[in-house]
Amino acid sequence: MRVELALFASLRRYLPEGAHGHERTIDLPDGTTVGQVIALLHLPDEPRVVFVNGRHAPDDQRLHDGDRLAVFPPVAGG
Amino acid sequence: MRKIVRVDMSDLSVRTEPLPEKWARYGGRALTDAIVFSEVPPAADPLGPENKLVFAPGILGGTTAPNGGRISAGAKSPLTGGIKESNAGGQAAHALAKLGIAALVIEGAPADKDARYLVKIAQDGSVELKRVDEWAGAGNYAVADGIKQMMGDTKRYATITIGPAGEMGMKMAGIAVSDPDGYPNRFCGRGGLGAVMGSKGVKAIVLVDEGLPTVEHADRDAFNAAVKKFAAALREHAVTGQGLPTYGTNILANIINEAGGYPTRNFSSGRFELVEQISGERQREVTLERGGNVKHGCHTGCVIQCSRYWVDADGRYLTKGPEYESVWSLGADCGIGDLDDVAALDRACGDIGIDTIETGVMLGVYMESGRLAFGDGKGALRLLEEEVRKGTDLGRILGDGAEATGVAFGVKRIPVVKHQGLPAYDPRPIQGIGVTYATSPMGADHTAGYSITANVLNVGGSVDPLKPDGQAELSKGLQIATGMLDSMGFCIFVAFAVLDIPEAFDAISEMAAAHTGQPWDADALMELGKETLAMERLYNEAIGFGPEHDRLPRFFYEEKLPPHEAVFTVPEADLDSVFDFVPETAAKMGISKPGA
Ligand code: SF4
Repeated sequence: MRVELALFASLRRYLPEGAHGHERTIDLPDGTTVGQVIALLHLPDEPRVVFVNGRHAPDDQRLHDGDRLAVFPPVAGG
Repeated sequence: MRKIVRVDMSDLSVRTEPLPEKWARYGGRALTDAIVFSEVPPAADPLGPENKLVFAPGILGGTTAPNGGRISAGAKSPLTGGIKESNAGGQAAHALAKLGIAALVIEGAPADKDARYLVKIAQDGSVELKRVDEWAGAGNYAVADGIKQMMGDTKRYATITIGPAGEMGMKMAGIAVSDPDGYPNRFCGRGGLGAVMGSKGVKAIVLVDEGLPTVEHADRDAFNAAVKKFAAALREHAVTGQGLPTYGTNILANIINEAGGYPTRNFSSGRFELVEQISGERQREVTLERGGNVKHGCHTGCVIQCSRYWVDADGRYLTKGPEYESVWSLGADCGIGDLDDVAALDRACGDIGIDTIETGVMLGVYMESGRLAFGDGKGALRLLEEEVRKGTDLGRILGDGAEATGVAFGVKRIPVVKHQGLPAYDPRPIQGIGVTYATSPMGADHTAGYSITANVLNVGGSVDPLKPDGQAELSKGLQIATGMLDSMGFCIFVAFAVLDIPEAFDAISEMAAAHTGQPWDADALMELGKETLAMERLYNEAIGFGPEHDRLPRFFYEEKLPPHEAVFTVPEADLDSVFDFVPETAAKMGISKPGA
């Protein structure tokens, strides 16, 4: 399956090669979970905010073809 | 002894009096509220002599309390028609506090409408009123230059100024406060307080604190210990220690867009396809490339340092930030995806002296009327410079904000609550902030109860932003806490650490107790927040605000917002529960309606 991956702020450097801006489409085995992608990317073991299709998602959520996975470090402003 | 300085513009007299005992525990927002509540009749014309413009540093102003130098400006608002407190960074709060001034109250109105005054308070506390008629119509930056020349060798002073919009009484006029470099770029932006200052004939206030020490503490050692504890928490938390200082407030653009709550083209979509180009990450890259500053405090004593300067292609200072809210309002809400366009608009707002949020929302509404294309940054700039700055007939309509503009040009989708434009988070997919917009006595104001924390950022817990459950409670707790922080004089960004680190919350009451010698604890802090809100609610009630005003515009309940196809679903009963504590708090305070 294909998933759109987006990593922001300080996490951007963990994007696989070939990324445009904050985004990169990646191929994954069916049923891969959010947590497995995070491990695959070697994201630092720090707090993060994760969205799948614009909604908060836990690490054990399974991804589906065409999903968008976005990961942020802790950020705020306003 | 803290004192109140009153400048009566009707007869140009100055009075100084000790801060009354009943307000000894008040500062910042609580104190501006108390003075407006007690002294400004609810029926007063906001731009008439009965209104009063109050400036107050927080309880911890003038000390080394980290991020404790915000200044509150308060009055009856010409925009909302209700009580208003709008706070800013900059150096003015510290200067007032060091001068021993708990509140500076500008009262009355001069008979001569063409007169412009500068109010100068010198190190020894003497107050001088100087005619500056030649500054009529000048922008904030020209006024700052004029003051610099006037001050000669005196380098340490803070300024509070208005641009032409305030002089013309425009309802979206703000008040500029100078930052540590003297730029007039920090704003008490919301609610038209610049117009109140203009109605008093006051163009500028200069506060000289050269050579003045920080304010003395009841217990210096205990104070310093609490300061250390608080600063450590701010450095430790990922948001206040890393995210904000690195990227500034505009780091939010991508995450709010991701959550589908980034209002685009006058609140018609929750995602902006050009967000990447105006994001905090991009802003940092461009600013660094051009040699701009990407990390400083907006006032002395800020530990977080989220502020930055935008420079033009030649590396010359243009404006601060721009901040997240301004990039959103002047960018996404207008369909503008170019940071240089946004920065040019931000600079124009700063110089003309208008609130960037209200201006962007107004422009979005105007664009929706079809008179200017979404995305036309140059056209928007022309409107601000040629119409608003010059006060043409069109400029006067636009200058009164989003609602006035929408009504004049027949736009149906007008995003305002209590006549004030909505900030940078759509309340349909982020419902907690909708509760704050709907119920805050300030009108639509994100800072009044920043539910984005738990709704989107996972700070201070988490509450599903798309569901109505728990939103009223979340907003209520945050509104009370914010009333307290605004009264202490804290930048609300300390809340990100305070919500997650218990020691940080303890440190606030420890600083307050050690500084004032009064007993402060967690309960007393929350009581201060409640008292602040109680005064505001009772004042607005006396004007005629009721539950029907604590609602969002209809379209938020009816028009589905992409991508989540969300509408606002928090029940009215929940909205009406937010201020259920007011009767009890008011009874404890012994107040029931405005007046002495
Ligand atoms: S964190 Fe930002 S807004 Fe707050 S005091 Fe510091 S520079 Fe000013």
